[in-house]
Amino acid sequence: MIRFENVTKVYDPNARPALDDVSLEIERGEFTFLVGASGSGKSTFLRLILKEDRATSGSVYVAGQNVANISSWRVPRLRRGIGVVFQDFRLLPQKNVFANVAFAMQVIGKSRSIIRETVPEVLKTVGLEGKEKRMPHELSGGEQQRVAIARAVVNRPGILLADEPTGNLDPITSMGIMGVLDKINQNGTTVVMATHDDDIVNEMRKRVVELRNGVVVRDEAKALYTSMIPVVGESRLLKDASDEELDRAPGGQQ
Amino acid sequence: MRLAFILGEIGSGLRRNLSMVVSVILVTFVSLTFVGAAGMLQMQINQMKGYWYDKVQVAIFLCNESSTSAGCASGAVTDEQRENLGKMLESPAVKQYISDFQFESQAEAFQHFKDQFSNSPIVDSVTQDQLPASFRINMKDPEKYQIISETFASQPGVETVSDQRQVLERIFVWMNGASVVAMGIAVVMIVCAVLLITTTIRLSAFSRRRETGIMRLVGASKTVIQLPFILEGVIAAVIGALLASGTLWLVTLWLNGDLSRQFLNTPFISSAQVLVVAPVLIALGGGLAGIASLLTLRRYLKV
Repeated sequence: MIRFENVTKVYDPNARPALDDVSLEIERGEFTFLVGASGSGKSTFLRLILKEDRATSGSVYVAGQNVANISSWRVPRLRRGIGVVFQDFRLLPQKNVFANVAFAMQVIGKSRSIIRETVPEVLKTVGLEGKEKRMPHELSGGEQQRVAIARAVVNRPGILLADEPTGNLDPITSMGIMGVLDKINQNGTTVVMATHDDDIVNEMRKRVVELRNGVVVRDEAKALYTSMIPVVGESRLLKDASDEELDRAPGGQQ
Repeated sequence: MRLAFILGEIGSGLRRNLSMVVSVILVTFVSLTFVGAAGMLQMQINQMKGYWYDKVQVAIFLCNESSTSAGCASGAVTDEQRENLGKMLESPAVKQYISDFQFESQAEAFQHFKDQFSNSPIVDSVTQDQLPASFRINMKDPEKYQIISETFASQPGVETVSDQRQVLERIFVWMNGASVVAMGIAVVMIVCAVLLITTTIRLSAFSRRRETGIMRLVGASKTVIQLPFILEGVIAAVIGALLASGTLWLVTLWLNGDLSRQFLNTPFISSAQVLVVAPVLIALGGGLAGIASLLTLRRYLKV
């Protein structure tokens, strides 16, 4: 679904690259955590998928299409296939819950009847039934993030990018959000989530890609937040390893 | 749906930015009023030219006893000289340029003079033989005045050849100057208007960056994101243009009311001629606002 081939992104020619020769493939329907310190390249990774930035070298493929070949007037179509969720929710404060979610459909020209039908369904999926008329400031942080997720998935994108979606939330609320993301993933949406939250990563046991200074230093299936032995070259093999093998591996036990 | 959405966005943009929108309306109003005034002054000049040039004549003044110019050294014009001039006017070489001519004797000239200055004491101090007799010529093409002047100025018995058009020309030069000044002010005001529109659109884009950011992320097209901003500027400018057109219309009403009673012989432009200027002003205002908005958005609203 998402494929990086030797992608390098340089913002400032005098500094080190934000991403340095990154090759990575994320399959359709996969749930992937993107971990690493601030400045390790996580956000750049997400921005390249959205074609917010252009890779300095290498190719980024989204849904089989090289994003470098998408002309600027067709970028909106690419973005319709990708939902995005942020740490700071980014809801429209003067619109209620229903209108916030409906906004994502209005601006791409969906008819009123389809909006009236779809929005309540999606709000139900994220667990906000009956809160359509609430304003964002009347909701808790967790509820606001649920609205943001509903808005990101209301147009049924194949990919959901989440940039530290639990960064502003307490651990219990965060787990609730993870439940929603997991449910969306179960419905077939590819989810890529950048995070610092070790509890969540350790709890979920999904694929973990670790970036450090723009380089992929770890790529493991069903992994933990940190690993004792970061193995770069063999990480692709580990992703495909079975549960038993992983349990025996020192990194999986920590 | 999309149309309703865009209209809603425009409405909220105009409301949120009300004071700036009002200033855009006022500045475009003033600037386009000057543009329109310059245009209408030109129309007025053309109208007056059309009206007067049909009536103005070239006059060949003949020598009288008191003439002092070089051509009159031999004294007043003789009958022979006068007949000679009349024949020249009838000759084919000259006749092709003139439609007709009359001879005005000194007696007739004195009569006209008395009519023209009937309220002035100067009439009492002027006698008939101080005024020159003249040939009054209506030209087929007033531009060909030079030919008549060259042919007759050096003829014996001719004091001077004068073109009444030159008197009018002086008025038109003055009016032209006024319209150039109006145009100059208009240009400065238009620059102000464009800069103000640019700033307004920038503010508007900034105050709605949250919305546009989300629109971008969910894949709204460039048109849907930018159109509300562009139309916001265009609508404000068009309102300004309409106000300017209304003002010019009021001016023509005044010209044809009060002023035409004072200047009976002056043909003023009619209110209907505002209908020619108004679409130009609206197109100019709307077009400039649209282009200014578009260029601003290209810089301040990433899509």
